[in-house]
Amino acid sequence: MEGFHSLLNGFAIALTPINLMWCLVGTTLGTAIGVLPGLGPALTIALLLPITFKVEPTAAFILFAGIYYGAMYGGSTTSILLNTPGESASIVTSMEGNKMARNGRAGAALATAAIGSFVAGTLGTLGLAFLAPIVVDWALKFGPADYFSLMLLAFVTVSAVLGSSAIRGLAALFFGIWLGLIGIDLQTGQARFTFGLQELLDGINVIVVAVGLFAVGETFYMASRAHTGEDEITPLKGSLMMTKTEWKRSIGPWLRGTLFGFPIGAMPAGGAEIPTFLSYYTERKLSKYPEEFGTVGAIEGVAGPEAANNASAAGVLVPMLTLGLPTSATSAIMLSAFQSYGINPGPLLLTSQANLVWGLIASLFIGNVMLLVLNLPLIGLWVKMLKIPAPQLYAGILVFATIGTYGITQSPIDLVMLYLIGGVGYFMRRYDFPTAPVIIGMILGPLAEQNFRQAMTISAGDWTVFFTRPLSLTILILAALALMGPKLYSLATRKTA
Amino acid sequence: MSTESPSSGHTGVARGELFFALGSLALAIVVLWQTMEIPVSPLYAKVGPTVVPMITSVGLLLLSGALLYSACRGGWQPEDERTTKPDGVALLWVLAGLVLNILTIGPLGFTIASILLFTCVARAFGSRNMMRDAAIGAVFALVAYLGFAKALNINIGAGLVENTIESVFFAKTGR
Amino acid sequence: MIDRRSLMLGAAAFGAAPMLMSGTAEAQAIDMLKIFCPAAPGGGWDQTSRTIEQVLRTTNLVKGVQVTNVPGAGGAVGLPQFLNNWKGQGNSLMVAGMVMVGSLLANKSPLRISQTIPVAGLTGEFEAIVVPAESKFKTLKDFADALKADPSKVPVAGGSAGGTDHILLGMIAKELGVSPAKASYVAFAGGGPALAALLGNQVAAGISGYGEFSEQVKAGKLRVLAISADKRQDGIDAPTMKEAGINLELFNWRGVFAPPGVSAADLAAMTDLMKKMTASKEWSDACKQRDWTQTTMFGDDYKKFVDNENTRIEAILKDLGLA
Repeated sequence: MEGFHSLLNGFAIALTPINLMWCLVGTTLGTAIGVLPGLGPALTIALLLPITFKVEPTAAFILFAGIYYGAMYGGSTTSILLNTPGESASIVTSMEGNKMARNGRAGAALATAAIGSFVAGTLGTLGLAFLAPIVVDWALKFGPADYFSLMLLAFVTVSAVLGSSAIRGLAALFFGIWLGLIGIDLQTGQARFTFGLQELLDGINVIVVAVGLFAVGETFYMASRAHTGEDEITPLKGSLMMTKTEWKRSIGPWLRGTLFGFPIGAMPAGGAEIPTFLSYYTERKLSKYPEEFGTVGAIEGVAGPEAANNASAAGVLVPMLTLGLPTSATSAIMLSAFQSYGINPGPLLLTSQANLVWGLIASLFIGNVMLLVLNLPLIGLWVKMLKIPAPQLYAGILVFATIGTYGITQSPIDLVMLYLIGGVGYFMRRYDFPTAPVIIGMILGPLAEQNFRQAMTISAGDWTVFFTRPLSLTILILAALALMGPKLYSLATRKTA
Repeated sequence: MSTESPSSGHTGVARGELFFALGSLALAIVVLWQTMEIPVSPLYAKVGPTVVPMITSVGLLLLSGALLYSACRGGWQPEDERTTKPDGVALLWVLAGLVLNILTIGPLGFTIASILLFTCVARAFGSRNMMRDAAIGAVFALVAYLGFAKALNINIGAGLVENTIESVFFAKTGR
Repeated sequence: MIDRRSLMLGAAAFGAAPMLMSGTAEAQAIDMLKIFCPAAPGGGWDQTSRTIEQVLRTTNLVKGVQVTNVPGAGGAVGLPQFLNNWKGQGNSLMVAGMVMVGSLLANKSPLRISQTIPVAGLTGEFEAIVVPAESKFKTLKDFADALKADPSKVPVAGGSAGGTDHILLGMIAKELGVSPAKASYVAFAGGGPALAALLGNQVAAGISGYGEFSEQVKAGKLRVLAISADKRQDGIDAPTMKEAGINLELFNWRGVFAPPGVSAADLAAMTDLMKKMTASKEWSDACKQRDWTQTTMFGDDYKKFVDNENTRIEAILKDLGLA
C-alpha cells in the first residue's frame, strides 16, 4: 500500500490552513467561471499564471485544480436553470436538466448534478491515485483508427436525440457537422468554408453555437409567444431536494457515468464530451421512464452525463501526472505552469515531485467535499432565480450570453455569429427541429474526420486498419450492436411471441 | 429513415415549411459550391480535405429534398405551432436589442450596450417600465464588468461609463 | 474542441502591451509598455509576452506593462489590428515570430510581418526529430534512408499542417531529394496528442520543439535522432542535423516588432529597452528555465534575418502547396 501511504502524506500537505485557503479560493472561482458561458478553466488558469511567480508550487496547483473541478460543477448550474451551457461538457446536461427545471424540478436536477459530480469526482480521484499507471498504459494503446471507431460509436448515440423525425434530426446533425468543418483543415492547412474571413480560420466556437441555439433561440421563441401566456416556467413543484425515488434513479447513472468518464478522459484524444454522449444514450436506453426523456425531463439524463464529465476531469489528470502528457487545453496550461517553476512534468514527476503530486491529489478530494458543501445550500438560492419575472429573466440571459461571448475575444464578429445562430435556433424551434444534434455533430464530426484521416495516412491508405486492430474492431462491434441490437431484439421477440 | 406521420389531415403545400425547406436547400447548395472551392492540396494525405465536406453537402442536399417533399405534402409543423401566430412586435424588440448591442458595444462600451439590450428584451416580454429595466441592466452589466476587470484582469470592452468609474474609484498610476 | 484550436494557435503567438500614454517618450525611459500578443493566453507568444513583463518589472526598467491578447489564426487575426489601430504608438511592441510568417503565407493574407518595424529578436526553440525507444531507426541516416525508399511508409507526427514541424519535415525531404509534398505527415492538434501517438507507437517518428519531448527522452521512452540547432546542446545526446548529414538549421524564433509610424526617438528608446532587458541576468535565467535559446538581434540585423526567413519559408510552403 505504498500509494495509500503517499496519499496520507498528501493529505498532511493539503490540510495546512494556507493550502485549504487556496483550495477554497480555487473551487469558488472555478464554480463562478464554470457558470459563465465561454469562460472556461483553461483560460482562467492561463490568466492566473503570473501567480506562479509569487506563490509556491503546491499552493498554485491546488488553486488550479480547484478551478478545474469547480468549473465542472458550475457548468451544470446555468445549463439546468437557463439552458445556457457554461462549457461544452455540460451541453448534454442542459437537454434533460432544463426540461426538469421548467417543470418545477430544478432543485432535484441541481442536486443530482452536484451529488453526481461529487460521487464521480471522488471515484475518479481514487482512480487517479491508485489506477493511474494501469489506465495510462491502456489509454496509450488507442491510435487514430481506434478513436475513429469510438467516434462512430458516439455517432450511434445521436439516435437518442434525433427527436420525432429522423429526417429533421439528421438535417440538424449534418448542419452541425458543417459548422464544425469551418476553419483551417488540420491535416492539409487548407481553409474550408471561411468565405474569406480571417476570423473564421480558427473555426467557430462550439460554446457560441450552443449558447446561440439554446439561450438566444429560446429567447426569440419565448418572446414570439409571450402574449399567449403558455410555456411558463414553474419555479418549484414539490420538494427542493431529491425524493427517495429520485435518489434510487440517480445512483446507477452516477456510477455508469463515472465508468464512461474516467477512462475516456484519460485517453489522449478522449475528452469530456464523448463520455457525456455515451452516458446519455445508455441512460435513455436503460431508464424505466423513457417517456420522461425530452418531455418533462428525466433525472437519469442529468445524473449520468454530469457524473461522466466530472470523472473525465479526473481522467485527464492521469496522463498529465504520470507521463507529462497534456491532453486537454486545461492540462496544457497547467503543464506550462509546472515549467514556470522549473519543474518538467514527465514520467519522472511522480518520483521527483512526490509531495507536489500527492498534495495535489489529496486537495482534489478536499476540493470535492468543499464543492459539495458549497453547492448544495446554494440550490435553494439558484432556484429562486427562476422566480424572476420573464422580461428581466430573459433580458438577463441575453446580457449574460453576450458577456461570455464578447468578454473573451472582444470581437463583434463572434457576437454577430451568436445572434445569427440564435435566429437559426428560433426557426428550428418553430419548425420542430431538434437542436442537440447540431452540437453533437459539431463536436464529433471534425474529430471523426481528423482521426479517420490520420489513421488512413498512417496505414498508407489501407482501409482494413479499422477491422484488423483489436480495439477498433471491438468498438465497431459495440456500435453495430447499439445500432441494430434493439431492432434485432424486437424482431426476435415478435417471432417467438 | 422513419416515415413522417401525416400532420393532422393537413394537405397541400405548407408555406412556412416550404420556405424552411428552400432555405436548407440553399444552404446545401452553398456548402456544395464552397466544397468545390477548397483547393486540392498536393500534400500526401490518403483522404483529402474535401471528402468529408462532400459527404456533408450531399447529405444536406438529400435531406433538403426530403424536407421539400414533406413540405409539399402538407408540412410537419405541430398543430399548436401552426395555429399560434408569432408576436412580430416582440420579435422586433428582441432583434432591435441585439442589433443595438452589436453597434454600440465597440464605440460606447460594454455597459451602455448591455443596458440597451436589456431594456429592449424586457420590453419584448411586455415590461413597460423602461427606466427601471435600464437601471437593472446597468447594475447587472457593471457587476459583470468589474468582476472581469478586477478579478481576472480581462477588459470586456471599456467605454465611457467604464473609464469614468475607473478614474473615480480605481484611480491609480498607469490605468 | 474549442480548446483544441486555441491550443494550436496558442503555440504560435504573443503580443505586447497596451497603455495609456501614447506619444510621449523622447528617447527617455519608457513608463508604460504596451505589449500586443496576437495569440491566446498560454501559448508560446503569450509566455514570451508575460516573461518580458516579468523581467521588465523586476528589473525596474519600466513602471508598468500591459498585455493585450488578440488570438486567431497564428496571428493573422491580430496583425491587421496592430498595423491599423496601434499605428504610431511609440510605447508598444508586438510579440511574434516564425509561426506568424508561415501563417500569413499559408492563409493567403495580403499582409506581411515586414509591414511592422522589427525591433529585436529574442528567443528561439530548436526542433527535434524523435522516435519511440523501440524504433528500428537508430540514427538520422536510418530515418533518411527509409524516407528516401518510400515516404508513405514513414508516417511522421507533428503539429498542424503548415506549422513549424511540418516545415522542418518538408525541408528535410527536400534536402534528401524527396518531394516535400510526398512526405507522410500526420497532423495532431498540439504537442500532447502527437506525443501520445509516439509513445503508443502509432507513428514512425515525431517532430516538434525539443521541450515537448525532453522529459520523455530523459525517461528513456523516446530517442532523439537529431536536433535542428546550430550547434550541439548541453545535456542532449544527439547530433545536429548538419552533423548528421542534412544541411539544415531551423529555429522557431520569436521577437518583438514596433507598429508602423513610430518616431525614430521612440524606436531608439524601445531598442535600448530591449538591449537592457536581454543583457539582464533575470532574462537569461527565465530563458534557461523555459529551454529557450537566446537569439538576440537588433535593428537591421534582425530585419535582414526576418526577411530571409520569409523567403525561405515561402519557398517550402510553395513546395507543400500551402502558399
